[in-house]
Amino acid sequence: MFRSTNVAARVFERQILTPRPGATINLVRHFYENLVPSCTICDIDCPDHSFRKITDDGRYLVSFSRNLQDIIVYRPTWLSFSFKGGNFDYQSLTQKAKKFDSFFTQLYSVSLGSSSEFICKDFFLYLEDHQFGLFATSTAQSHEVPAIEGAIHGVPSIEKITFHLVRLKDGVVMDEKSFCNDFVNLAHSMGVFLYEDLLCIMSLRYQTIHILQVRDSGNLVDVRNIGSFCLEDDELFLNSHAQCMTVLNKSKPVGNVHESANGIHHQQVAQASAFLTGIKQRLLSFIFRKAWSEEADPILRVQHLKKKFYFHFQDYVDLIMWKAQFLDRHHLLIKFGSVDGGVSRSTDQHPAFFAVYNMETTEIIAFYQNSSEELYSLFEQFYDHFHANSRESVHANFISSHSNNIHALEQLWSMKNKQSSFSQFVKKMMTSVPYTCQSQSPSPYFDVSLFRYDEKLISSTDRHRHSTDHPIKFISRRQPNVLKFKIKPGLETSGAEARTKKICSFLFHPHLPMALSIQQTYMQPTVVNLHLRIWMELEVVVIPVRMFWIEGLALRG
Amino acid sequence: MGSLLDDWPSYDPHNFSQLRPADSSAQSSKLTPVTYRPTHNKTLPPPDQVISTEARNILLRHFYQKSEEKFRPKRAASDHLTPEHSCKQPRYAYADEADVF
Repeated sequence: MFRSTNVAARVFERQILTPRPGATINLVRHFYENLVPSCTICDIDCPDHSFRKITDDGRYLVSFSRNLQDIIVYRPTWLSFSFKGGNFDYQSLTQKAKKFDSFFTQLYSVSLGSSSEFICKDFFLYLEDHQFGLFATSTAQSHEVPAIEGAIHGVPSIEKITFHLVRLKDGVVMDEKSFCNDFVNLAHSMGVFLYEDLLCIMSLRYQTIHILQVRDSGNLVDVRNIGSFCLEDDELFLNSHAQCMTVLNKSKPVGNVHESANGIHHQQVAQASAFLTGIKQRLLSFIFRKAWSEEADPILRVQHLKKKFYFHFQDYVDLIMWKAQFLDRHHLLIKFGSVDGGVSRSTDQHPAFFAVYNMETTEIIAFYQNSSEELYSLFEQFYDHFHANSRESVHANFISSHSNNIHALEQLWSMKNKQSSFSQFVKKMMTSVPYTCQSQSPSPYFDVSLFRYDEKLISSTDRHRHSTDHPIKFISRRQPNVLKFKIKPGLETSGAEARTKKICSFLFHPHLPMALSIQQTYMQPTVVNLHLRIWMELEVVVIPVRMFWIEGLALRG
Repeated sequence: MGSLLDDWPSYDPHNFSQLRPADSSAQSSKLTPVTYRPTHNKTLPPPDQVISTEARNILLRHFYQKSEEKFRPKRAASDHLTPEHSCKQPRYAYADEADVF
């Protein structure tokens, strides 16, 4: 904790202050209270692209062309300016400072889409170790789909979804993976979870979780598919069983064999439809064993089983997997629910369940309903572990959450106290589990210990929000009435314009004091603003020299 | 003690000069701490002990612990002495599970 708020005093203090173990980053982050993106360049003249994300290491700004066919990658840089001689040309500096090119250098543009396939502009995942980016292209979604054996009714279908692994350094497409006549929830990367080098893709239509590994060479390799089968040799066992069945049951019609990248053999599925899917069997046997062990007395046990298991048997069988995430390399957290709530986000009317599944032993470890208080207590204490950050990811480990920050925890408690029904509150909180990976910005300006801001207007989660005319204030947490900086998302509006709905999204750089705000209004061009820290007029020349002087002292100390 | 601080560099050469005692050698020998030598070996670690980080994270450990509690065979209703969710739980040995991962 620094004693002074002055940046120069803090630099001196940093020479002698030892941070608490493991909290160096928390201490160094206090400098962001002094260096804030207070200056806004409104409606910066930039190419008309759909800006998606600044990667978590700050190396790339990923954007898509308006026609959703190309990806354009920029390098975020910082304006540097030097002059020789006595005549300082301030005019040309301000001109330069207002250009998009001064801050972002285009690296390349790569075409991923084709005439029928468009890039999904909400989808992007970044593998920091190798600087790979994962993009998705898809054809149009169709809701009228013929019922196919093995596919869930009520879930739309997309003719082709392709995942492209691109090396962001130079734009080379390393590998591709396609899913045909399937549905993966690509909006905000919700259907795909990345943990270290493992990808978990939730195929809603065929109720299969595809686990893929990203190798160092850039190849996407299948590891396992969980759904119809849990163990690798389940399919072999069922095949040999099915062959015996066809010998006995010659009258039963056999469907066409259809093989795709999904790995589903429809013929096998048709014959195996006598069995419930592997994951469902694991789930039902877990629920049965749990109900069995809850009652010791044999007579009461049967009653208990009837009430807890058999009465709800069909409901459990009808559950489908909605979303999955990794908890570590061997464990998945899977959300189950009814088909009706399949692709929507609201779960108020439909019950949802969470299961922890061990991929190695193929056992279900835990099963909770979304109103479970036990699960909520784990959620409150250990939310960071639901994020499943690998230890190497420095930026992601310091995102504020109610498990690592007292202010966020107080906010959560105040929300809990305001709610009249605790179970409703628990259900509302559980909608954020399973976590959507890389959905939060690691920028220190969202650190709740440093700044207080209105979470409805702006937050670390990258979602579009309704834009207001008033600037969004970031108030210092430790000096309660001091306004540190403001972000004004749009141009000055007046009268009729002010009434039209505007939505706004923000892209914060992970460590530089720089942010982009993108305001979209219906039927009007998109406005992009750049918020950054620019030294004041007269200080432009003086400050750089003085900063070096301070740094020199720091080294000597 | 004064003799220890004597030789250290300082902005002002007069700093710490008044702390110099009359007889520095006697002072320093009096203040040398005696080395502690243990008289028993009860607190020695076992010779094959290896300290390592638990491979499974705490959230998963809680899930496993709760499921083990649930699948423990329950006593009959008549001798239900302890409440179902008691605060004190016997610790399970996680070391052998950690080896698997």
